[in-house]
Amino acid sequence: MTANDLDPRHDYPLATRRPELLRTPTGKTLDEITMAAVLAGEVTAEDLRITGDTLRLQAQIAESADRPQVGQNFRRAAELTALPDEKVLAIYNALRPRAATKQQLLDIAAELERDYAATLCAGLVREAAAVYERRDILAP
Amino acid sequence: MTTMSAAADGQPVPPRRSKRTEILENRPVNLDGFVEEWPEVGMVAMDSPYDPEPSLRVSDGVIVEMDGRPRAEFDFLDQFIADHSIDVAAAPAAMARSAVEIAHLLVNPQVSRDEVLAVSRGLTPAKLLEVVKTMNVVEMMMALQKMRARRTPANQAHSTSARDNPVQVAADAAEAALRGFRELETTLGVVRYAPLVAIALQVGAQTGKPGVLTQCALEEATELELGMRGITGYAETISVYGTEPVFCDGDDTPWSKAFLASAYASRGIKMRFTSGTGSEVQMGNAEGKSMLYLEIRCILVTKGAGVQGLQNGSISCIGVPGAVPAGIRAVLAENLIASTVDLECASGNDQSFSHSDMRRTARLLPQLLPGTDFVCSGYSGVPNYDNMFAGSNLDPEDYDDWNVIQRDLQVDGALRHVPEAEILAARGRAARALQGVFDYLGLPPITDREIEAVTYAHGSEDLPFRDVLEDLKGAQSVMDRGITGLDIVKGLEAGGFSDIAETLLGVLRHRVSGDLLHTSAILTPELTTLSAVNDANDYAGPGTGYRPTGARWEEMKRLRHVVSARNPEEEVG
Repeated sequence: MTANDLDPRHDYPLATRRPELLRTPTGKTLDEITMAAVLAGEVTAEDLRITGDTLRLQAQIAESADRPQVGQNFRRAAELTALPDEKVLAIYNALRPRAATKQQLLDIAAELERDYAATLCAGLVREAAAVYERRDILAP
Repeated sequence: MTTMSAAADGQPVPPRRSKRTEILENRPVNLDGFVEEWPEVGMVAMDSPYDPEPSLRVSDGVIVEMDGRPRAEFDFLDQFIADHSIDVAAAPAAMARSAVEIAHLLVNPQVSRDEVLAVSRGLTPAKLLEVVKTMNVVEMMMALQKMRARRTPANQAHSTSARDNPVQVAADAAEAALRGFRELETTLGVVRYAPLVAIALQVGAQTGKPGVLTQCALEEATELELGMRGITGYAETISVYGTEPVFCDGDDTPWSKAFLASAYASRGIKMRFTSGTGSEVQMGNAEGKSMLYLEIRCILVTKGAGVQGLQNGSISCIGVPGAVPAGIRAVLAENLIASTVDLECASGNDQSFSHSDMRRTARLLPQLLPGTDFVCSGYSGVPNYDNMFAGSNLDPEDYDDWNVIQRDLQVDGALRHVPEAEILAARGRAARALQGVFDYLGLPPITDREIEAVTYAHGSEDLPFRDVLEDLKGAQSVMDRGITGLDIVKGLEAGGFSDIAETLLGVLRHRVSGDLLHTSAILTPELTTLSAVNDANDYAGPGTGYRPTGARWEEMKRLRHVVSARNPEEEVG
């Protein structure tokens, strides 16, 4: 679900101005997240998450509001929606000082690209591997 | 002048003291800690001979020299800032302007915020420092009034308990929400209590006023997990530091923090970084730089990571700049610089640093008067002894003074006086709602005796003890069973608190849209998003920008005791 040329002045907040663009990861609309649906078990915790498509819409909003780095953060986040929680936490921990070897970081980057099409995140991890090597903060 | 004199037996008599000196010696301010500057170790606020001169060289779209350092010698902060934070296209023209010229752009209300951002995006840390060094605190406040990202100021409070008592946290959260705070923060004495306390904060907040966002300050990975489950609403204590060795001692790098920021966004959770003057010298490795220079590096790391905002204003290190000359000026400068590079700023006033009431207020005014995105980050909603952040600059005993100052100066600090009956009702209801949730989740019960006690209590000393071991087992079961925010919604509904259940569901539903991820985003009590995107600060001098008027000003006029003009025997409600 994408939209061209979102205008922050007219389209934000998306929930109020452009709700038709929004879906939960299971394909529900915002209107379908009701108390009745929750109690009937039709809405689960999986539904209360953001999709990659929505994050890319919000990235457009940020970029139109002249916040390119915020937009990049949201685009990395869009890639990470595909990863399970445990993997996200594991990669974060691997990026901490002296937590991983250069090869381990490069393997993580390769996995991000190969298995999740997470090219921006892979780039961040490769950049980290290079800096950590130069600054001597890789695992021995 | 006094002189030694000899007593009849030849022993020296102590010099006669001035009675006035004795009174002054015993003033609370003389219990505070003051130290001389020592620039070599970084014990200096903003005026160090060892801070670098600003410089910038760009080659083929890449920064090859910054603030006197060639690229080959960049530490990881320099590299992250050079490659992610500074707008290389804007930088040469921006750096060519003099510091005074840029300061004028900041102070002059007729220069728009956007015009300032077009320049600030190209400035190095040393250049930003040079700019604020030309400004006194009045000029900085004028600039902050314009550079604050969100037009409407807001406020944040702490709700914690010396016993990690969840019932107390819920009741104080409800009261704080009712008084006007739009974000609430908790933390633990015993970290294993976190799930229960975080649930309590969420329930109490939504009971007091719909749409308050909640956070639980913990170690990074645990905090992310609670957020992922929807038990908390946002995260703030994602710390960044201004020297490479201190960052590593904090067990992170700009890259790990940037990844963590994207991880939060990938789950639709709002977050900001935290930094503050004094952390590097406190952690023993300031590399001989001034506190403010190092803090500016933190601010630019935040910018480069694409994080929407920053909590700064020294934060837990406030005693450090507070001890040296111009320290509180530097603290204002760091809030200003965060806003100047287009970040949301949650501006400190959150840690006790002085025994003097005058000094506490003087430290507060530079953020309160111009307004910031969150004037306090946070105000203690519990008595000092219950504050598990080791005490804040303000606490519940200051509520009435705060409201009077708002009314005296017609300045909106985002709080309001609330009559006692309303407060008691909210506190009691929050405790009852939590009782229902604990019952539904099979957690250790909350008794009616506890509810009664917490309704009328000031602090944990007024409350019966809970069975801590049983609570900790319950807390562990929350994690083991995979309890989420949705379970809290169901628990509220099952307990007969449908309106609060509906509210919490509405707050959780916002994760789907990501509207709250943007700069300075908060929820209104109607659960709509207000942020720098749709409530941009348009201050442009007298008669413009946010000013408390109309219904809000009427609300600010109300205090605990206001005498009727027509009949001084009566008080107005």
